[in-house]
Amino acid sequence: MGIEEKLPAGFLLTTVEQLAGYFRKSSVWPATFGLACCAIEMMAVGTPDYDIARFGMERFSATPRQADLMIVAGRVSQKMAPVVRQVYDQMPEPKWVISMGVCASSGGMFNNYAIVQGVDHIIPVDVYLPGCPPRPEMLLNAIITLHEQIQNTPLGVNRVAAAHAAEAAALAATPTHDMKGLLA
Amino acid sequence: MTNPYVPLLFLAALGAGFAVLSVVAGAFVGPKRYNRAKADAYECGIEPTPQALGGGKVPVKYYLTAMLFIIFDIESVFLYPFAVAFSKLGLFALVEMVLFILTVFVAYAYVWRRGGLEWD
Amino acid sequence: MSNKGENDNLPAAPGTHPEPVVIGTRQGMFGVSDGGDTSGYGGLVAPVLFPAAALRPYGGYFDEVADALERALVGGSALYAQAIERVVIDRGEMTVFVAREHLVGVARALRDDPSLRFEMCTGVSGVHYPHEAGRELHAVYHLRSITNGGRQIRLEVTCPDDDCHIPSIVAVYPANDWHERETWDMFGIEFDGHPALTRILMPDDWPGHPQRKDYPLGGIPVEYKGATIPPPDQRRSYN
Repeated sequence: MGIEEKLPAGFLLTTVEQLAGYFRKSSVWPATFGLACCAIEMMAVGTPDYDIARFGMERFSATPRQADLMIVAGRVSQKMAPVVRQVYDQMPEPKWVISMGVCASSGGMFNNYAIVQGVDHIIPVDVYLPGCPPRPEMLLNAIITLHEQIQNTPLGVNRVAAAHAAEAAALAATPTHDMKGLLA
Repeated sequence: MTNPYVPLLFLAALGAGFAVLSVVAGAFVGPKRYNRAKADAYECGIEPTPQALGGGKVPVKYYLTAMLFIIFDIESVFLYPFAVAFSKLGLFALVEMVLFILTVFVAYAYVWRRGGLEWD
Repeated sequence: MSNKGENDNLPAAPGTHPEPVVIGTRQGMFGVSDGGDTSGYGGLVAPVLFPAAALRPYGGYFDEVADALERALVGGSALYAQAIERVVIDRGEMTVFVAREHLVGVARALRDDPSLRFEMCTGVSGVHYPHEAGRELHAVYHLRSITNGGRQIRLEVTCPDDDCHIPSIVAVYPANDWHERETWDMFGIEFDGHPALTRILMPDDWPGHPQRKDYPLGGIPVEYKGATIPPPDQRRSYN
């Protein structure tokens, strides 16, 4: 079982990847994980004005068992952190995470004892979306970026190769404290 | 010539086959990444309340009631033909049936005293 | 309703009322105050003032409330003098400082007496005054009377840091249950007689009481490209 991870390489694999990617991105069901103010913008995305239903994503699922995408919308407190992890673990594969807003991405303006400084301390994040709160159009942009990622996800041997390549790139990259920003 | 219901049978087979195919194909193709939380009950993200084995779904008192019913129902199954044919049977049958009822009555008294007839 | 005249929201003019009580001085404002301070706020020295006990007549409905409370407390005036430390009228609001042993009796009298009838308690807040030796932790209760025309009164109870116990008024105002839990969580004031005094905002095994003045902010330095910014309570003051 788990044939998806054992697919051999070749032209057919590329087609299968594209096909599976297309099917997967067309029916993403988000999990309701609105924690704070960003949840309002997430709700706004569900309204007809910004319309997440055009992606088939209007069905926010309260249970993680039927959810594909976890949009962490809002600040994660120390008390909420194990709950975030448990809900993420209870989602079946394949699953993705968008950390919506600055609080979920990095702790935001709350640099204190009570707030986890970025939900990526707890769960792996696919798309970081800054904003306080991000406008609904920005959330839609993040979702479209995620759709492109899903469309181009490698499967089988390609996935193993991509993981190795990502690890090598991360090891060879300049660390943040060596980077010179616009001031240098 | 051909039975007009054959297409219906074919459609039923197609539907059932599609359902089975979906489930089986999903089990085959999908990734298998197990973690302990996936097998836990969902309780809004907190650790689930400990449950009895098998989920503690059916209280055992239902089993007890069913068992008692079976026993005394079989007793009454024996009583019915006896009652119908009583006029043709003699004293011997009466004595024998009274002994039978007394035997089952012992079991009844035992269950009563042991509290098996209490619901809660 | 409290009759708020135009001058009711202003602090007392000097010389007209007893002078405010100084309980400490405050050095500097925010951020680091040793070196690197370009704003000048680091050199600020200001006294920490409390309004003094008010003199009779209090004005408005406060006199009625004080008299009714005196009558309602079992034992009459003698118990009033023991239970009520002082009454402060400041900016059109009445604060009654209650000795902690008599808190439940005072609360019950305020709730049950027909002319008082403060049936609504909107919660208890904690305050930490590290300068006020022997009275570091305050618990402030806000009561409101809907029957008697929206009157509001504030009860303030103090306790020292090393013996921070205050009787719980959950028996009188059951809605205070979670508010007292929060005050315990944030300040460490233990409410004797509370049914279940556990942490409510912080995780169950969190050490310390975060809203005390000596509790650190707990921020971490933030790394940008080419610079690292310290957390807010350790930054220079910029201007």
